[in-house]
Amino acid sequence: MNTALLEARCLVKRFGGVTAVSGATLAVGEGQILGLIGPNGSGKSTMVNLLTGETVPDEGEIVFAGEVVTRLPSYRRARLGMARSFQMLRLFGSLTVEDNLVLAGHIRMSAGVIGSALNSQSARSEEAAARTRARELLSWFELEEFASRSVTALSIGQQRMVEIARGLMSEPSMLVLDEPAAGLSPPNVDRLILLVRRLRDEFGISILLVEHVMRVVRELCDQVVVLDAGRKIAEGTPEQVVNDPLVIEAYIGSGWKRRAQA
Amino acid sequence: MDLFLQYLVNGAVTGSTYVLVAVGLTLIFGILGVVNFAHGEFYMIGGYAGIFAVTAMNLPLLPAIVFVLAVAACVGLAAEAILHRPMKDRDATSSIVSSFGLAVALQNAALIVMGPQPQRLNLDASKMPLLSELPTEFGPVFLPHQRMLIPLTMVALIGALYAVLRYTWTGRSLRAMAQHSTVARLCGVRVDRVAMVTFATGAALAGIAGMLMSSVFLVYPIVGNMIALKAFTVVILGGMGNVIGAAVAGLLLGVIESLTSAYVSNSTRDIVGFVIVIGVLLFLPNGLFGKSVGRS
Amino acid sequence: MKMSICALPVIAGLAIAPLGLGGYELSVLMTILFYVILTLGLDLVTGYCGQFSFATGAFYGIGAYTAAIMSRDLGTSIWWHLPAGALVAGSFGLLLGIPALRLTGHFLAIVTIAFQTIMYLAISQWTSFTGGQVGLHVESAGKLAVFGTTLFELGSLRSYYWLTLGVTTVCVLAAWRLVNSRLGKEWVAIRDDETLASAIGLNTTRGKLTAFVAYAALAGIAGVLTAHSLRGVTPDDFTIWISATVVAMMMLGGRGTFIGPIIGAVVLAIVPEFLGRYAEYKMLIYGTILVIGMTLVPEGVIGRLRRSASR
Repeated sequence: MNTALLEARCLVKRFGGVTAVSGATLAVGEGQILGLIGPNGSGKSTMVNLLTGETVPDEGEIVFAGEVVTRLPSYRRARLGMARSFQMLRLFGSLTVEDNLVLAGHIRMSAGVIGSALNSQSARSEEAAARTRARELLSWFELEEFASRSVTALSIGQQRMVEIARGLMSEPSMLVLDEPAAGLSPPNVDRLILLVRRLRDEFGISILLVEHVMRVVRELCDQVVVLDAGRKIAEGTPEQVVNDPLVIEAYIGSGWKRRAQA
Repeated sequence: MDLFLQYLVNGAVTGSTYVLVAVGLTLIFGILGVVNFAHGEFYMIGGYAGIFAVTAMNLPLLPAIVFVLAVAACVGLAAEAILHRPMKDRDATSSIVSSFGLAVALQNAALIVMGPQPQRLNLDASKMPLLSELPTEFGPVFLPHQRMLIPLTMVALIGALYAVLRYTWTGRSLRAMAQHSTVARLCGVRVDRVAMVTFATGAALAGIAGMLMSSVFLVYPIVGNMIALKAFTVVILGGMGNVIGAAVAGLLLGVIESLTSAYVSNSTRDIVGFVIVIGVLLFLPNGLFGKSVGRS
Repeated sequence: MKMSICALPVIAGLAIAPLGLGGYELSVLMTILFYVILTLGLDLVTGYCGQFSFATGAFYGIGAYTAAIMSRDLGTSIWWHLPAGALVAGSFGLLLGIPALRLTGHFLAIVTIAFQTIMYLAISQWTSFTGGQVGLHVESAGKLAVFGTTLFELGSLRSYYWLTLGVTTVCVLAAWRLVNSRLGKEWVAIRDDETLASAIGLNTTRGKLTAFVAYAALAGIAGVLTAHSLRGVTPDDFTIWISATVVAMMMLGGRGTFIGPIIGAVVLAIVPEFLGRYAEYKMLIYGTILVIGMTLVPEGVIGRLRRSASR
């Protein structure tokens, strides 16, 4: 058992009278791809928001990179090495593709905002380095021709790639991908699978993958956690959880079996 | 103790105007999502319309009230056409700037037309035959008829509004819009009409408040500034969009202000509300009576 | 770069203007410059960082009263008042920025209006400190002296105009630097999507607070300049209508476009001069511009031009 990079213990989150997450526990090991699945309304999105710091849990503890981050705002977690993509695509619409990436590189710059406002030598060289890195990443994703275009000019699939490239700008140790295959065409799903695998193998990044598309989960995940009604109902390899009677029951009526065999 | 009761009653009178203004404001926000910074100007226009009806047209009280309701409702309809209709597909911040602009324009139009001098509405006994037969002294509390009129009208109008919201089809469509505008539209609620009814109602309530209050205090072009701020305080205290909350919070603010000016100092009177509102916004963002709404 | 090439002849023209213009025209020009600083500041916080504020008049007043009170109690000159006004107004900006950390949109707008009103009430009612409704007299700006040698008397209108022009130029350059720096990019990120900004590691708390401080400090500087120019301050110079005017200037030009709000300030500050005896219609016109502008060109004139140019 390798050491966990991200660990969540007994998380509870209530919204008014509704308990969205009740006592969920999961751990993502170094270099691991962990899948997080569950039917609609099972608390996956809330779980992601708790892990990335958009909301604070009512109970439980989150440890990331050796630090307790339960109440840290998301920007502090990002500085510890956590990057994420969003279920609904999120990019800065008024900026170019390259600027979207460069902004994410700000946290790796050491010159303060004062230095930047004064246009100091070190701030300028850091800025130039960030631009170079952004270009490199864009060419890695085969998007370099769009660098100075507005993000709104890109297709959904390309915007998803920009989101992932943005995540890499901050040199993260952990990437949280929230339904990255949503809205992608089958060939693009294939590209996504190859790409995520390369992220782990070439960059050594641990990945938490929240996904509906079972093909992606089966091909990528080492380990899968299944949520239902805010609780963890199963954990294991993709094959194990797919055949777990509890899991099948949770999904009945939502076409799980059919999709699992597709 | 006797004085305390008097302060309490004074506070309830002022509080009643806050309720009238704030209920309209909270309706417009709750149903249409428009933050109407020009709401205080409905109050101001109601004040001038009341003076016109009573002084120039020489109407008795009830017809004058009907006249003011009609004028204010028309102003509300115009405001809807300016602030809501063209902005429907935009984000909420658009109406912040345009309603602020409308407030500035209306205040300055009033300044040019009516002049800066404060004016008073003279409601003497001959204008209100029935009311003037009531006593004005209740034990230690002195309550002149002009003041008595304000809580009475407030209770009547807010009661009527509550009944309409609760038991009529119009009320149901308004509440449906407040819950979920898209679903309401799909269920056949005519959104344009709901918007017009909401603005007309909100403006009419504020207009009546302005009319009645100008027989006690005075009306002047920028009177709406302070009233609108107070009403926002009340709306936030009561929970944005919550009618009952606004009614309770309005009376509460009136009483708190009255007690503050009596026991602390008159100059802190206007500030106390803002201090409360900033505190509430920071620590109880759903208001005192608001439901907490979960977002995922 | 392009901007500095365009700006140079404008500044040069403004610098030689006193040689050909009379006193009245010079004071109009100065009023325009004050509004340029105010609108520029508001554009930082609203146009770039996306936080609404209707409290410009309050920060303007705080700067002006800082100058008036320092000059009364300490006998200092404008050289002390400029940094002090920026500092005091900036500190109040920090104070108003705190609610902005938790509130957005209309809630923040309401708090800023409340702040504006509280400031007005405080200035007009704290008579022993602020002079109440009558206001305070302000001494002339003093002089520019190095080691006891007077280089420059600021008592004359012409030299005070040059000082105003110099300070305005510095403010515009500083603001330009800011919006093009990392901080400025972070402001835009917060405006576009605050959740995302935080998710990629940007400290949105620091971003919003710095924007509020920069905005308030610029308004404070404009206040100091105005106090010495008018040789006095009264509460009615710093009402919510000033805030409304500045919002109108920014929205007309196009928020977040930098040059747009400056043009908006120049145009709307000149308009009353052409209204002649209809000058009392000024605020009515500004209000109407806000309503019509928001309905027809919500992105402002320059914003609209840029958008159609990029198509």
